[in-house]
Amino acid sequence: MRYSYIKPRTKTLFTKDIQLLFAFFGVTIFMLFSTYAFLLFRDYRFNQDRAEINMKKEELRIHISKMNKQISSIEQQSMLSEKVFTKNSVLKESINNLFDLVPGRITLSEAKIMENGLILYGITPNKDVYNFMLQAPLRSIFYKTYSSFYPAKNGWLRFVSTNYMNEEELGSED
Amino acid sequence: MINKFLESLYTKVFINIIVENLQTLVYVEVCSGENVVENLHKKFDTTTINSKMYEFVRVYLKESPFCYISVLDKSPLQGAIPTCTASEMNSYCDITSSKYLCFSKEWSFYTSEYDLEAIKHDYRSIGVDFIFSPFVIMAEFFKDKINSTLSMFVLIEDNYIAFSVFDNSELLYAEYLDMEHHKDDEDLLMDSQLEEEELLLDIEGIDLEEVDLEDDIGSLDDFANIEDLDNSEDIDEFSEEQEVEESAHQDVDIGTDGFNEDYQRFSLIQSSLSNFYKNPIYKSQFIESVYVADGVGVSSDLKGYLEEEMFLSVYVRKIDLGVSVCDMAKAELNEI
Repeated sequence: MRYSYIKPRTKTLFTKDIQLLFAFFGVTIFMLFSTYAFLLFRDYRFNQDRAEINMKKEELRIHISKMNKQISSIEQQSMLSEKVFTKNSVLKESINNLFDLVPGRITLSEAKIMENGLILYGITPNKDVYNFMLQAPLRSIFYKTYSSFYPAKNGWLRFVSTNYMNEEELGSED
Repeated sequence: MINKFLESLYTKVFINIIVENLQTLVYVEVCSGENVVENLHKKFDTTTINSKMYEFVRVYLKESPFCYISVLDKSPLQGAIPTCTASEMNSYCDITSSKYLCFSKEWSFYTSEYDLEAIKHDYRSIGVDFIFSPFVIMAEFFKDKINSTLSMFVLIEDNYIAFSVFDNSELLYAEYLDMEHHKDDEDLLMDSQLEEEELLLDIEGIDLEEVDLEDDIGSLDDFANIEDLDNSEDIDEFSEEQEVEESAHQDVDIGTDGFNEDYQRFSLIQSSLSNFYKNPIYKSQFIESVYVADGVGVSSDLKGYLEEEMFLSVYVRKIDLGVSVCDMAKAELNEI
């Protein structure tokens, strides 16, 4: 049963003070959550960056090992080239020496330079010239020297000189 | 459900406004659950609201979000009629511009809609939650007697009287009497018929003297009669609301005003009762007793007049209107 002519105004707990309080707390909670979300995002980004960097690091490591390999092969090649260059220069020297060795009266028609020896073809006026002027220095250089003669058309002698190095010396040189 | 729970956590503040002749009585009750934490009466020299009253009320408004402001209706256009059906109401009075509510599906009380709006407008700065009719206050106050007797029930306010006749909870007649208005009528009469009035006053003067002589015996009878009522309650109320009582006594002490007012009240009740007897619309029954709810502290003169002039058995109970309105607000709140 109603006694009053009018109905009471609706009472709410949310007075202006409470509203202000809730607004304040709301803003604070929002800021907290937004900071938390920001940190989560940063953390995610950081992890992503770290994974990317790790991948790059791995790539670079592989690259470096590849390059190291290349460097070592290039070093080997350069060493080889140096070796070849020295050998060549030695060979050049020895060829020079060889031609210096041959006297003016003897004419070489062919020279075969081998790893362990030297075969010379040529024409000599006589055996003495050959024996004194060519065989003697050859003998001092080579371990074994074999010479064979056969007459040419003009009365001179054709010769074949086969010289071998000492096998042991060769082995020790290598 | 949640609202009810939250409501129980907060204290409830009931601010009850009773407008008197020149002052406004504000009764404040702060309740925590069922317990009353604080209660006080305060009077302000205004009949609507002034800055002091506003500041006083605002302090309590801030105390709790569940603050209810009740006002006792003082509209001179209010009343009560012995029916609840709208079609029958028009035979008693014109209720087209009135708001009415049913009491126990037996009778209804009404007031002017314009005056309700006026109250809302007057107190717009603090707001109003409940507006109660003095007839409801009276019906609740005399609940035990209304249900079991054929009697006249009167609620005396500062400037108004709520007059009603009940026969075993059935309303026979009700009228809201305006003392100020009645006085004006009397003045007019005095202007026109001065000589006759003088004579009448002389006669009345003789009557009053007789009443004064027998007053003491009458008041003793009163106490004998009241004993079976709720004497102890009255005493309790006395001790609680000393301020109100004191002010009421002061009113009486001021001089002959109180005496005149009592006679005025008596004459109003008398004319109203004769109207009830004479008007054929109402079921006329012979009234032998009157229950008076005294909200202002009337002197024993009124009781004397009623007993001597109208041969009624008079029972006077003190009523604190502020407390009664507050109880009403609590009851209304429990209904919701």
